[in-house]
Amino acid sequence: MITAQTSASAEVTAIDSAARWPLLLLLVSAIKWLVLSGVLALIASIQLVQPTFLADCSVLTHGRTVAMQESIFIYGWAANAGLALALWVLGRLGGSPLRATNWIVGGTIAWNVAVTLGLIGIATGDATSIAFLQLPRYVQLMMVVAYGAIAVSGVLAWAGRRTEGTFAAQWYAVAALFLFPWLFTAAQMMLLWSPVRGTMQAVASGWFSQGVWTLWLAPLALAPAYYIVPKVTGKALPSYEFAPHSFWCLLVVGGFTGGRHLVGGPVPAWIASLAIVSCSLLLFHYFVVFMNLRAGFGRGSTASRLVAIGLLAYVFGGLVDSITAFRDIAAVTQFTFVEAAQQQLALYGGFTLILFGAIYYAVPRLVGKGWASGALVSAHAGLALLGVALLVVSLLAAGWAQGHDMLDEKISFPAIAAHMRTWLLVAVAAQGVLLLGNLLLFVNFLKTACPSAAAPAENPFRPPATMEATAS
Amino acid sequence: MKNGPIFFLGLFTALTLSWAGTVLLSNHQLGALSQYYDENESAAFPLHQPGLAARGQLVYADLGCAACHTQQVRRPDFGADQARGWGDRQSVARDYIFQSRVQLGATRIGPDLTNLAARKPAYDADDLMSLLYTGIIPGTKVLTHPPYKFLFDERPVVGQTSAQALKVATPAGSQIVPSERAQSLVSFLLSLKNTYDYPEARPMPAEKKEGEHGAKKEEAPAAKKEGEKK
Amino acid sequence: MSTPPNSDPRLEQAAVSDDSLLAAHEKLLGKKPDDQANYRLLPLNLLFVFSGLIFFAGTYLNLYSGHFDPHIYNEHGLPHKGGEVVKVLTPEEVIALGKKLFNNAACNTCHQANGLGVPAVYPPLAGSEWAVGSEERVIRIVLHGLMGKISVKGTEYPGSQAMPAFGKVAGSGYNWSDDKIAAVLTYVRSEWGNTAGPVTAAQVAATHAKEGDHKAWTADELTKLP
Repeated sequence: MITAQTSASAEVTAIDSAARWPLLLLLVSAIKWLVLSGVLALIASIQLVQPTFLADCSVLTHGRTVAMQESIFIYGWAANAGLALALWVLGRLGGSPLRATNWIVGGTIAWNVAVTLGLIGIATGDATSIAFLQLPRYVQLMMVVAYGAIAVSGVLAWAGRRTEGTFAAQWYAVAALFLFPWLFTAAQMMLLWSPVRGTMQAVASGWFSQGVWTLWLAPLALAPAYYIVPKVTGKALPSYEFAPHSFWCLLVVGGFTGGRHLVGGPVPAWIASLAIVSCSLLLFHYFVVFMNLRAGFGRGSTASRLVAIGLLAYVFGGLVDSITAFRDIAAVTQFTFVEAAQQQLALYGGFTLILFGAIYYAVPRLVGKGWASGALVSAHAGLALLGVALLVVSLLAAGWAQGHDMLDEKISFPAIAAHMRTWLLVAVAAQGVLLLGNLLLFVNFLKTACPSAAAPAENPFRPPATMEATAS
Repeated sequence: MKNGPIFFLGLFTALTLSWAGTVLLSNHQLGALSQYYDENESAAFPLHQPGLAARGQLVYADLGCAACHTQQVRRPDFGADQARGWGDRQSVARDYIFQSRVQLGATRIGPDLTNLAARKPAYDADDLMSLLYTGIIPGTKVLTHPPYKFLFDERPVVGQTSAQALKVATPAGSQIVPSERAQSLVSFLLSLKNTYDYPEARPMPAEKKEGEHGAKKEEAPAAKKEGEKK
Repeated sequence: MSTPPNSDPRLEQAAVSDDSLLAAHEKLLGKKPDDQANYRLLPLNLLFVFSGLIFFAGTYLNLYSGHFDPHIYNEHGLPHKGGEVVKVLTPEEVIALGKKLFNNAACNTCHQANGLGVPAVYPPLAGSEWAVGSEERVIRIVLHGLMGKISVKGTEYPGSQAMPAFGKVAGSGYNWSDDKIAAVLTYVRSEWGNTAGPVTAAQVAATHAKEGDHKAWTADELTKLP
C-alpha cells in the first residue's frame, strides 16, 4: 500500500496500519450513529412545530425521540468517534503500534450492541428520564465493560510510550479514557441502582451531565485538536507552558459546575452559586486553549479548518455558558431554547466539528491514501458549518423570544409557540442540512475505507520536517 | 504528567474532589430529608403518593414528558412562575422526597406541572383525558399538545357506554376508553399538589441592609407574633 | 519552514513529525534559563486573569451562597441564628385552627358545636362569663380540667361529669401544646356572639409554667384568681 520509508520521520508507518481496522470499525459505527441521530433530531424538531407529527406512534413520541436522539448522539457518535481518535493519538504519540487491538474490536461490538439494545429499550418505554443517562439501566453495565475493553489499548499505548515526557493531547486522551467509567458508574449507583432521595437526584444528575461534557467529551475533542494544530502548522504551541494548568483547571473545576441548571430550583442556593463561579473559573481554561490553538487557521485544508472553527465554537460555547449561568440572565434564558442552543454549540459546534476535522485528517493515514472524493469532503464541511450556524442562531433567537414571553404572565403558551414558530422552522431546516451533510460523509467514508482493487498509488504523504522548539 | 500512577491518582482526585464538593456535601444536607411535622395540623408533609399515582409517575418518565414540562416553581422575583398561577410558593427540596424518579425538567415548551391539581380553575380527570387524547387544551380550540391516541383503546359499545368513555366523536357503536397507563398517568397528574407551606419556603423579607441580615430575619417572624397579640 | 499551503480537501498534509513535535513541546515545558531576560508579558497576564477569577469566585460565594446553609433557597438570604423558625399563623388561621380542634370530638361532644352545652350536664360556652372573662381562669380550666359544681349564666351545673385536662400535664389524655390551647380559646372567645379578646400561646405558656402539673380545678379555687 505505501512505499516503505526507512526515514525515521515518515508520516505514515506501521503504527497506522496496525490500528487500521479497529479504528475504522469505531469510526464507521460512529458515523452511522451520527446519521441515525440526525434523522431523530429532524423528527424531534418537526414535532416541535407540528405536535401531531408521528404522535400516534408510541415509539416516536416527542419525549422518546428526544431521549433516543440524545443517547445516540452521546453514546453512539461521540463515544465511538472520540475513542477512535483518542486511541489513534495515543498510538502515534506513544510511538508503537497499538496493542490489544482485538479488545478494541470486541469492545466496540459490545458497546454498540448495548447502545442498540438500550435504544430499543427507550423506544418501548424503559427510558430513565435522566439527562444524558437515558439508556435503560440493564445495558449500562455492558457499556462500562465494553468501554474498559476499548480503553485498555489506549492506556497500554500511554504506559508503554517511547518518550518519557508526554504531550497535551495524550493527557486529554488518557483523562477521558480513565474518567468516564468512574463518572458513569457513580451516576448509575446514585440514580438507578440505589437512588438518592428527592432533589438529590437532580444534583447527582447535574454532576453527571456536566461531567460528561467537561470531563469526558471536552477532553476527547481537545486531544485530537491539540495534536492536529501543531502538526499542520508546524509551529510549537505559543502558550504551551500553561497547557498543564489549563488541563487541570478543566478537570478540577469542570466537575463543580454540576448545579449549573439548578439555578432558582428546589435545591439550596449554594449549589447553583458554586456552579456559577465554576463556570466563570473555567474561562481560564478556555482562554488558554484559545491562546494555544488560535494558530489553527492558516495554511491547512478542510481538516484543519474544521478543527480550528470547532475550537472557536468550543471557546465561544464556554463563554456563553458562563454568561448565561448568572442568575440575572438565567431568569430569562432558563428552560428555554437558549439552553438547547448552548448545548448544540458545545456538542455540535465544538465537539463534532473538531471530530470531523480530526476524522478527515486521520482516515487517510489509517488507509494510506486520501479521501475518495474531494467534492464530498468540501460539501460536507460546508453543510456542517452552515447547519451548525443556522441551528445555533435559530435556537438562540427562539429561546430569547420564548424567555421574554414567559416573563409576561399574560402571554399564553400557545401564543409563545406561535411567536417561536418561524425560528423553529429554521431549526428544522438546519437539522435537514446537517443530516444531508452527514449522509455525504457516510458515503465518502465507505468509499474511502473499503479496500479497493485499484493499484496502490505512490505515497501521497509528504515527508514531515522537524519542529523547532521555539515558541513563536 | 510523566509519572503514571501519580497522574492517575491526580485524575481520580480531580473527579473525587468535584464529587465530594457537590454531591457528597449536598447529600449530607438533603439526602436524609424527612417530612415536616406540623403540630397544629397533626400531620406530616409532604404526604405519600397514592399507589396509582406512583405508577403514573413511571408512565410520565417513560413517555419523556420531562422533555417539555418542568416540575419546579421558582420564587416570585425570578421569573413569572407564580404570576402564571403555577404555585403560591417556590418549590423546595422537601416537596420531592417521596418521588421515586424526580423529574424537575429542563425545558418549558409546555407549562410547569408542579401544582397541576391545585390550579384555579381546577382540572378534572375528564379534562386531562381529553387533553391527552386530542392534544387540545381544555377550554380552547388550540392544539398544542401531541395527541397520544396510543394511550386509549377504541372498544365497541356493549350495552351501556362505559363511565370512563371520553366525550369525543366516535363512529357509531364504539367508544374511546382510557387504558391503564392513561388512568395511572392522569391519577399522577391529579396528585401533583405541593401546597403545604414549609418554613424554608417562606419568602425572604424584602428590604435589608448589610449588617442587619441576622437581626432582620428574627424580626420578621417576631413582627408577625406581635400582630397576633393585639 | 515555508511549506506551501495545502488546498487538497482529500488529504491534509502534516508539516512536522511526531517525534519532533513531542521533543519540541517537551523542551517548552522544561525549565530553561532566560539568558536574554526576554520575559514575556503573557504569563503575567494569565496570572492576573486567573487571580482575578479566583477573587471574583470568592466574593460571589461569600455574597450569594447563603453560607452553604441547606435551608437557604434564595441566594440573597443568610442563615438565621437560633434554631428552627416556627410557622406563625395569621389571626384568621388561629381561629380556624381553634374551630377545627374544637370540633374534632374534643369539645363539641360535650359543649356541642353550637356552644350551648347540654342542660343540667354540660355548661354552655356561648355568653358564658367564664369563657369571656379572665384569661387566667379559662386557661387553667382547659389546661388542667375542672371538677365539681360550677355556676354558669345563673344556672348551677352539678359537675357529675368532670372536664378533662387538655394540656401537656400529668394525667392528660390530650396533651395539647400551648399553641393549640391558645387557638381553641381564641376561637371560643370569638364565636357564638362572644367578643372577648384572643388568648396567646405566650399567655398559656406562662400559666403552664407557673402552675406546672395541677389536679383539676374547682370553681371556688378559680374565683379566687384575679
